[in-house]
Amino acid sequence: MIRIKNLVKSFDGTPVIRRFDAEFQDAEFITLLGPSGCGKTTILRMIAGFEIPSSGEIWFDDQLVAGGKAFLPPEKRSIGMVFQSYAVWPHMNVYDNVAYPLQIRRLPKDEIRAKVEKILETVHLAQYKERLPSQLSGGQQQRIALARALVAEPKILLLDEPLSNLDAKLRESMRFEIRDLTRALGIAVVYVTHDQTEAMAMSDRIFLLNNGVIQQSGSPDEIYNKPVNPFVADFLGKVDFFSGTAADGQIRIPAWNAALPLPEDAQQGKVILAVRPENIRIRKPGGGIPGTLSRMVYLGDTTDCRVTVGSATVRVVADGAFRRAFREGDAVSLEILEHMVFPDDGSTQEQLRIRT
Amino acid sequence: MKSNQRGAVATKLALALLFLLGLALAYQGLSAQKSYNESGFSAEGAFQAIYHLSEQVESDWNELLRPGLEALPEEKQAALDALAKDLLTAFWRERAGEGAELSDFLPQEGDREALHKLLYISYTVGGPKVSASVKKAVENGGAEVSAALLLAAADESAPVPESAEAALKKLDGAERQGMLMQLYYRSLARSSAIKTEDVNSFKKGVRDKSMQLNALRMIAGRELTPLRQFIASRSRTVILAGILLALDALALAFMMGADRVWRFDFKWLIILAIVDFLLLFQLMPLIFTIVKAFFPDGHFSMETFRRLYSYSLNFGALKNTLAAAFATMLLGTLFAFPLAWLVGRTNLYGRQFFRSLFVLTYMVPPYVGAMAWLRLLNPNVGTVNQWLRALLHLGSTPGPLNVYSLPGLVWVLSTFYYPYAFITISRAMEKMDPSLEEASRAAGASPLKALLSVTLPLMTPSLISGALLVFVSAASCYGIPSIIGVPGRVHTVTTRIVEYVSLGQQGLNDATGLSVFLLALALLILFVSDIVLEKRQYITVSGKSVQPALVDLRRFRLPLTILVSLFAVVVILIPFATIFATSFKIDVGKSMFLKTNFTLSNWKTIFGRSETISCLKNSLLYATVTATVGIIVACTMSYLLQRTRIRGRKLPDFLITLGSATPSVVIALSLIMTMKGNFGVNIYNTAYIMIIAYLIKYLMMGMRTVVSAMSQVHVSLEESSQIAGASWLRTMFRITGRLIFPSIAAGWFLIFIPSFYELSMTTLLYSSTTKTIGFQLYEYWTFTSQPMACAMAFGILMFVVLLNFLLGRLTRGQFSI
Repeated sequence: MIRIKNLVKSFDGTPVIRRFDAEFQDAEFITLLGPSGCGKTTILRMIAGFEIPSSGEIWFDDQLVAGGKAFLPPEKRSIGMVFQSYAVWPHMNVYDNVAYPLQIRRLPKDEIRAKVEKILETVHLAQYKERLPSQLSGGQQQRIALARALVAEPKILLLDEPLSNLDAKLRESMRFEIRDLTRALGIAVVYVTHDQTEAMAMSDRIFLLNNGVIQQSGSPDEIYNKPVNPFVADFLGKVDFFSGTAADGQIRIPAWNAALPLPEDAQQGKVILAVRPENIRIRKPGGGIPGTLSRMVYLGDTTDCRVTVGSATVRVVADGAFRRAFREGDAVSLEILEHMVFPDDGSTQEQLRIRT
Repeated sequence: MKSNQRGAVATKLALALLFLLGLALAYQGLSAQKSYNESGFSAEGAFQAIYHLSEQVESDWNELLRPGLEALPEEKQAALDALAKDLLTAFWRERAGEGAELSDFLPQEGDREALHKLLYISYTVGGPKVSASVKKAVENGGAEVSAALLLAAADESAPVPESAEAALKKLDGAERQGMLMQLYYRSLARSSAIKTEDVNSFKKGVRDKSMQLNALRMIAGRELTPLRQFIASRSRTVILAGILLALDALALAFMMGADRVWRFDFKWLIILAIVDFLLLFQLMPLIFTIVKAFFPDGHFSMETFRRLYSYSLNFGALKNTLAAAFATMLLGTLFAFPLAWLVGRTNLYGRQFFRSLFVLTYMVPPYVGAMAWLRLLNPNVGTVNQWLRALLHLGSTPGPLNVYSLPGLVWVLSTFYYPYAFITISRAMEKMDPSLEEASRAAGASPLKALLSVTLPLMTPSLISGALLVFVSAASCYGIPSIIGVPGRVHTVTTRIVEYVSLGQQGLNDATGLSVFLLALALLILFVSDIVLEKRQYITVSGKSVQPALVDLRRFRLPLTILVSLFAVVVILIPFATIFATSFKIDVGKSMFLKTNFTLSNWKTIFGRSETISCLKNSLLYATVTATVGIIVACTMSYLLQRTRIRGRKLPDFLITLGSATPSVVIALSLIMTMKGNFGVNIYNTAYIMIIAYLIKYLMMGMRTVVSAMSQVHVSLEESSQIAGASWLRTMFRITGRLIFPSIAAGWFLIFIPSFYELSMTTLLYSSTTKTIGFQLYEYWTFTSQPMACAMAFGILMFVVLLNFLLGRLTRGQFSI
């Protein structure tokens, strides 16, 4: 279990992490998600011990590893870590790279051999153990790094954007490999990424950060479907925002010249309406909100549509067969299946602009 | 938080204490120094004056005096004690005058050691006069004569050795016994540790007799506490240490205060150690040299400059330096740019070979080139002149070419400094994006048009910086003008500086005036060059450089290759072959193929002479020490620069760059002026002063190499080792060290090679025991035999090539110069 209390970090007086509190359970897959510069890597490096917190505490089980005067250097923390650049040592072959952590722990030779061969088997590199890293592909180097991080059987594995240098196909398959492997080993994983799909696919819990502050934490389902603010809604998945006014159980959206029902727990006054394109159905005119199908792009499994409603344009994701029933210029009617409402305190634009 | 604050208070307190300790030391040192300067009754001053002498007396007492004394029977020892007391009283009575209260100063009868040591010192400094013949006789008499003399002194009736009789004529009583003691001391002189120079400096240091008296009392009575003795005997060093300590404490406080982290970091100690070293041995001497030029006798005055530059020889040297450097810059760049383009960007035949050939010239000692061209272009016996005369039927008049002239100097400088521009320009060429040139070709430009309209403008910054490098190297060169310019009366600033230094104190002052000119020139160019290049980036080497597409020379390919080969033959092959051939000659003016003119004796001599061997040993030792210390500093600096964000890490970097830009003769001169004890460090005439000079000049070569290598090792390679559980040290050895080892080796050689054959600084700093191979070669060339010097030069050349080969092997071909 990793406990992080009141973690603050600034570089040369500029705060990078304003405040971070969290508890990561054993065998939990945690993702730190956020745009670049949000501080996620800094948190990971503080857990690893490469950065010293400006204040706050980090505990591994009952051991204080950073905080106050206490500081445990990285080499004493018994963790595994995979770097964005893989950091596979170019002067050692695959076997030596992976054996290194065990050699440092002064394990007997045959035990090292057995463990290294087992882990290389697991990551499908057994036949390459005599090769130098430069003779292997990016995906294979990635797996060396993973094997090296896991060979000493750490209780915590840290991954710093490990898939960002791989091509799309490989990235997808590595996602599952990493997920399955760590689950089988039952170790806690802290995974840093800016890719929301990765986060959704792999995590037990996601911590979404922006500007050094946690925006929301929870399961992928919670974060996607119950975002606490427009930033979260925008960062995960696609979403369109419209400003409106909530009163008498209704939200009026001036741009649409229409109104939607107000969820029970939502507040009154100026609000922001957020709608995800996949939560809108396009129907033949009649009922719902009237509009015009202005553009249609066929993407195979889906069809990406733009519908003009009043003075606004709404994105809609329809299925692949949709294009047979409609053509551009048709009058349509929109049915909103789900929508989210956030209070409008005037900061929304600013929040969204932060996204890079 | 509480404990952090307590830590901060403790750190601040410790710093304050350190600062105060520094001030206290400096004060103590200053007051000891003051009392030494005032001639008066000062215990510390006197002590300081005799400090060195007394140390030697201590060992003489243990090895000579006490054994001799204790070999005598008991009653003779007592008699000698009484004699010593009497002689001392008489000796000092004569010096202190009547009335002086001697019993305060002289040891009591019971204190045998003090009595005998004091008498020994007194007589060494000014005992009864002995004629030269007797002196020689007793000195050569051996242990028997010594023992007999001592016995005769203790017992008036004992027989006197024959050799001493001449000195004892007409003497009796106390005078006779005093003379016997003096002769006894004389007989020991051969094995005594006391050196004549020390006796003389003692006499000079203890200016009046009262001080002498007091000084002796210090030895006899040991009145100073050990701490006071320490401070008094090394007052200047103590002042210096105190000032540095106080400065360091201030610097630490400044750095910690700026970060608001009052925690002690070990890295600061390393930075401070390097900075202190550079402050002491580089910056302070340089500043002193400049100050000395403007304040020759403590007051501001331009007198030095007026005197210097109104002397036509100096003014001429100034003009020669500027003219030669400027012409060399033009000619050298004119060689370098087309060569760099042909070798770097075209399909010239053998471009890789030519590249390494031109770069290799960079590692050849410049004076070797000077020697070769002197052999070729000597107006009377130069090989080229002989051919030309035969070819043009000019008869036997001297000429037509004369190396002993300004154009001759420019020619030789150019052939040896064009590689500086070549390396700078070809590096930039290799990094240039080839698509820029291709775009110009696609737009319809011919290769030549593309070269002139795209490549040349893009290369301008490196062209200028390469040209400036040639300029400043030519202006600060000593090796070539000393061999070519001086015999031809073409003086340059560097040769004038060296001549002035050999003239003694007044010469030193004048040399500072010339140095200031040279230094200003070098720094100005460093500054300008930095602006042109904005900031030298080390990282430029990293990143995957695209292999540039080569320009097809088509029908010019062969002619241009022949032209480049011809250049290589003229500039490299012929000079080296000349050196090689001359090394087998008896008469340098005749062909080596004449039977009567061929000899191997030059080679036999240089490998056989013990002096040459000891010079070679010195060179190897100094270069090894310099390179090893240098590479350790270089690695430390690379770590600080590349891996830490610690405040102040740029300061040593700046000082090291400054050091390498300082002309060699200026470095040497500034060390001569400040390192002979006047600032508390006396390393004059030692190997240390030479090693320090080499370090200042060549440290940057090694540092750059290591820094650029380390910048290419991504930090995550180290971090993943730490995560694997490896300690910092282990990570450094197994990961970083292993990865940058080729560069560390290359850096070591880059410091080693120029230190090995260095001449300019050595000429000023050598002593009879610290001669190096470079200086020995120069001596041979100037005073002994040119063929022998050529044999040595060729030997050095072969050694450098061998080292280069070794380096290539060691780094698996990644590095060779």
